[in-house]
Amino acid sequence: MGKRTHLFGRLFPPFVILIALSLAAVFWYATVVVENLSREQSTENLTNQAAVLSRLFQGRLSRENAAELDAALKRVNHRIHVRLTIALPTGEALADSIEAVANVTSLASRPEIQEAAAGNVGRAVRRSLASDKDLLFVAMPIKEGAAVTAIVRAAGPMENTQFILRNHRWEIAGIAVVLFLSAALFCFLIARGLSQSLEEVRLGIESLGEGRLDTRLPRPHVEELATLTSTFNRAAGALQSKVMIITQERNELEVVLSSMTEAVVVLDTNERLLSVNQAAENLLGIENERVKGRTVQEAVRNTDLHRFVTNTLAGKEPIEGDIVFMGEPERFLQAHGAALQDTRGHNIGALVVLNDVTRLKTLENIRRDFVANVSHELKTPITSIKGFLETLREGAMDDPEHAKRFLEIIMKHTDRLDSIIEDLLSLSRIERDAEKGEIALDSGSVGDVIELAAANCRRRAQLREIEIKTTLEPDLVTRVNPQLLEQALINLVDNAVKYSDREKTVEIEAKKLAAEIIIKVKDKGCGISKEHLSRIFERFYRVDKARSRNVGGTGLGLSIVKHIVNAHGGRVAVDSSPNKGSVFSIYLPLPVAVSEVRSAQ
Amino acid sequence: MRMRLQRDIEKLKKRIVRLSTLVEERFHMSVKAIECRNASLAAKVINGDIEIDQEEVDIEEECLKILALHQPVADHLRYIVAVLKMNNDLERIGDLAVNIAQRAETISEHYGCQIPFDYFTMAQRTGEMLEKCLDSLVNMDLTLAYEVCAEDDDVDFMKNMMQNQFAQEVRKNPENTESLIDLFLISRHLERIADHATNIAEDVIYMITGEIHRHRGGDYVKDKKIRSLEGFSLSLDNDINS
Repeated sequence: MGKRTHLFGRLFPPFVILIALSLAAVFWYATVVVENLSREQSTENLTNQAAVLSRLFQGRLSRENAAELDAALKRVNHRIHVRLTIALPTGEALADSIEAVANVTSLASRPEIQEAAAGNVGRAVRRSLASDKDLLFVAMPIKEGAAVTAIVRAAGPMENTQFILRNHRWEIAGIAVVLFLSAALFCFLIARGLSQSLEEVRLGIESLGEGRLDTRLPRPHVEELATLTSTFNRAAGALQSKVMIITQERNELEVVLSSMTEAVVVLDTNERLLSVNQAAENLLGIENERVKGRTVQEAVRNTDLHRFVTNTLAGKEPIEGDIVFMGEPERFLQAHGAALQDTRGHNIGALVVLNDVTRLKTLENIRRDFVANVSHELKTPITSIKGFLETLREGAMDDPEHAKRFLEIIMKHTDRLDSIIEDLLSLSRIERDAEKGEIALDSGSVGDVIELAAANCRRRAQLREIEIKTTLEPDLVTRVNPQLLEQALINLVDNAVKYSDREKTVEIEAKKLAAEIIIKVKDKGCGISKEHLSRIFERFYRVDKARSRNVGGTGLGLSIVKHIVNAHGGRVAVDSSPNKGSVFSIYLPLPVAVSEVRSAQ
Repeated sequence: MRMRLQRDIEKLKKRIVRLSTLVEERFHMSVKAIECRNASLAAKVINGDIEIDQEEVDIEEECLKILALHQPVADHLRYIVAVLKMNNDLERIGDLAVNIAQRAETISEHYGCQIPFDYFTMAQRTGEMLEKCLDSLVNMDLTLAYEVCAEDDDVDFMKNMMQNQFAQEVRKNPENTESLIDLFLISRHLERIADHATNIAEDVIYMITGEIHRHRGGDYVKDKKIRSLEGFSLSLDNDINS
């Protein structure tokens, strides 16, 4: 693997080097050609001159005419820039256009002369001793028959060609540099354009990868790149529509899941939570974002659920189970679990659907207890009545003293039955009327009703030296049915009196809150244990079975209170701790208009 | 190898959290058994203890296996060591829940009348501590763990208050001494549970910071402690007055 370079780095420097090399090659070649050309031309010139000279002096080229020849040559010297020499084949100079013949050393050693002496045209380039310049020598033999009689030599400077090249060097170099720079610039632009287009494609893919699915690329002018970008654009479009479909499907699914009242929990095979819906968040008290990816053990601390999840994951068949959440209030869940399987039948997780059946369970308990209680409540007095009646019939009737006492007991139990049935009837009446909306609610003072109820109970309270205190805010007005509310309050206050020790106080408080009126009945009696609090408003529910029947009461009082308050659109609550007393609260809603006026003020 | 260790530790975490859940539930059940004087619930707690014991042994073996097989270092080692220790504490809490349940059984038999002490605030407080220390374990939450350490003194304080109440009550009704002892023991058990919860919180602190937090005295969050104590004595006063 070589080092990675950018496309630009790949393209630009090689091109630049290539251009420089080609320019240098062309330059070099041109130089050589020009040099050769000019040398040839000079050679030809010299040859021509030598030929002209030889023709001119044809027949006179001998030692005898040396002086004449020399003079003639010296004469033409200043006309032409060529040194002309006439020599014998032996190398002895006869005439020279520049030097005195006497000064000219024997030319026999010169290659061009030797060549000419052999009968050919001799050429040579040599540095001139006199002028320190390269000189071109051309020697031409003059023949008479086959024998060379004389040699005419012409010598001209080579300088000409070099001179041309030297003179134009800077020009040529300048042109070369300009050419080089423009070619390099061109290359640079092309390479950059190419790499930019590719960079655009890269950025496009990157932004697509980052989720910007609407990314599209412009069409570049290069065909291959255009294909690339159009393929990219098509792929991005397809991806976008796919993602849209998936998103929509997921949203639909999510809406379905989150609008389900059942809690849905999805887990993987390691018992990690993959997702939980809104209902599950509420039911289990967890947040989807916080528990995602954690194990169910970490997310929800409930062993029933842990076991259920483990069992679901272990099997392939859907299972059902009950899950109990301890704590306040206790909650019962019904769980359905199914293992999720992939196409090959391997378990890839589990789906647990939880149903809050606390209400159902409570209702079931209420129903069961109700039937048992009502029969018990009715049966007890009837058994007594029956027993005493039988005793009377079997003779006690004749004993007036016993008979009277028995009749009184029978009377008492009959009263009790009567009051139970009376209470049941009024309960069902209230229920029925409330259902039909036939309970008349009129604007009235809650304070007056409380005072009436308190006055009603005071007589009984005084028997046990219990004081009933009322602390009322003024101006407590809302829509009430005074008779029913009074009955409810009497029930509550009666209870408070009954379960208080002698010489204690029962307090009734009434206050106005933001949107409701709260009436509190407080006693300092024996209190109610926690486990009974949630069920105390049920019909015939008794905290302490023996005691409450002794102090009287039908077991329906609180139930009636609850129904009356419900009919008013309010609610009841109880708070109590053993040995410290109890507080029963009635919340009555304020009429909307009134509460709005209050908040406006 | 590293992956294997990671996986084993994950498994261990799951188990210790499961054990803690089990213990927490047992604790709530035993408190509820007292509150409702429900003997069958108490029996359930007592009979279920064997499950906790078994789980404790299993977790300990698992820890030893990891130690022997992987020879973990640094935070992994701390984790294993802390799990080993809190495993012990959890099992002890389970035992104490059983003790409370046994008291509940006796109470439901012999003690028809109301319970003269306010256990429920104390039980609630202990339950909160337990919940917090387990939360800190699950979420590796240092602040929660420190809170638990600070709260322990409150529960101790409550126990002492109850001790005084107990002495008064015995003086008033010497004939009830036996049943009162039963009741008093509950406060002791609760206080011990709170101590174990504190131990667990300290183990969590060790797990996260590598710092051994035991025997530091009560210098942390001192004013907070005092404030909550004031709140408690106030509420006690209210209870007595009301």
